[in-house]
Amino acid sequence: MVEKTKTTLKRGLRRRLASVVPCLLLAVGISGCATPPPRADTADYQAYKQLNDPMEPANRFFYRVNNVLDTYFMKPVAQGYVYVTPQVFRTHVSYFTMNIGEPARMLNFMAEGMPRDAGTAFMRFLINSTAGIGGIFDPAAALGYKETDTDFGLTLAIWGVPPGPYLYLPVFGPSGARDVLNLPVSYFLTPMAAAPASDALTDFTDAETGLDLVNTRANYLAPIDQVKATALDPYATFRSLYRQSRASQIQQIYTNDGQTPPAWTQPKQP
Amino acid sequence: MYLRRFILGAVAVAPMLLAIGTPAHADTIPPDAAKAFINQSGQKLMAIVNGSSSQTAKSEALRQLVDQIVAVDRVGHYVLGRYVNVATPGQYQEFLGLFHKLLAYNITYQINAYKNISFTVNSATPEGDDMVVDTTITTPDKPPADVGWAVDEIDGQPKIVDVIVAGTSLRITTRNDYASVITDNGGQVSALLTAMQHQIKKLAAVQ
Repeated sequence: MVEKTKTTLKRGLRRRLASVVPCLLLAVGISGCATPPPRADTADYQAYKQLNDPMEPANRFFYRVNNVLDTYFMKPVAQGYVYVTPQVFRTHVSYFTMNIGEPARMLNFMAEGMPRDAGTAFMRFLINSTAGIGGIFDPAAALGYKETDTDFGLTLAIWGVPPGPYLYLPVFGPSGARDVLNLPVSYFLTPMAAAPASDALTDFTDAETGLDLVNTRANYLAPIDQVKATALDPYATFRSLYRQSRASQIQQIYTNDGQTPPAWTQPKQP
Repeated sequence: MYLRRFILGAVAVAPMLLAIGTPAHADTIPPDAAKAFINQSGQKLMAIVNGSSSQTAKSEALRQLVDQIVAVDRVGHYVLGRYVNVATPGQYQEFLGLFHKLLAYNITYQINAYKNISFTVNSATPEGDDMVVDTTITTPDKPPADVGWAVDEIDGQPKIVDVIVAGTSLRITTRNDYASVITDNGGQVSALLTAMQHQIKKLAAVQ
């Protein structure tokens, strides 16, 4: 009973933390909105609207906060992790964490009305969880089930929800008014969330989350350093990269889920 | 994963961030010609990056190569965006000069992190008025990166006008970066020129 209560408390704490982030954003956002240029200044006003970053002062504040956290904590941890692990290990960690996300991808693809991609995510999870030894290996890719990424933010985009204002979240980084909704959804759409609560499961979830964070940061070590070193305004550069990447992901979903006519409908090759 | 591929790919090719600035042409370069150009340019780039020359010699060789294969002025024009009309002729010329220098310093900065790069040319597909050649760049101890090179014919010669990674254009990234500096300084192009000068000094000090 005590153990169960402890587990519930741990989960409850994480949920409360998840709910604190939007409130914090709202509080800082209200006081940190950008002043738009006068409407009479058409070109500047259009550029401001197109930029769609009305909370830029607050976003830049959180960018600086994250930068400090990253410089003094995440980056040194990731550098240490890279020092003690070979690339092959980090690649298999990526496979493992990617596999845990496949059920969420399948459900999102279903919600998006992309049956082929949903089937691919299902097959990837099935094959990699078994033949791939719990997702450590990715034999599904070799069998033709290539990874296609999606999340709830992209599902909303497919439904026609506009991206909304840009947001730079504390800890989580670049996001948007639409994409931020992916955070709570992705938290609950994992195989671990569906399993009966236990201390072991909570510990596993925490370890997996931590490993994923460090592994992902390790993959970005050189790229982030180089953006910071070469961009005139790294905040604007990361914003641009994020938005282009999301637009590209949406396009990729449409491209991947194209119709594939059955083999018997194809003319026979001479 | 796509974002990861994008960023890894972007870093591998960031020195060549580039763009188209002027209205389109009637014809795109034929796919085979574009692929041959990228293959040839890639081989030259690999030879420099993987060579045993000193860092200074490599930097100089890369600067010359970039001038040969990249439409730097045209890219600069695109990157300045709507502020082309705001800048005075003098500021515009100064910008192009600084852009050339900054590109060279960025390249030098990047090559310090890369060695033993290999690449394969995959396919070429028309996109708008350009021919985009898809390549896969492989670096030891890093996941392979898929990179697209937009090629256009300028003055009868094929030139790189953009770099696309996972459907994302690096010329747009640079344009947004520069526009942000200008808008944050009340629309003054001079602020961008100052920022570029500072950046050049900073990179020169590091190198």
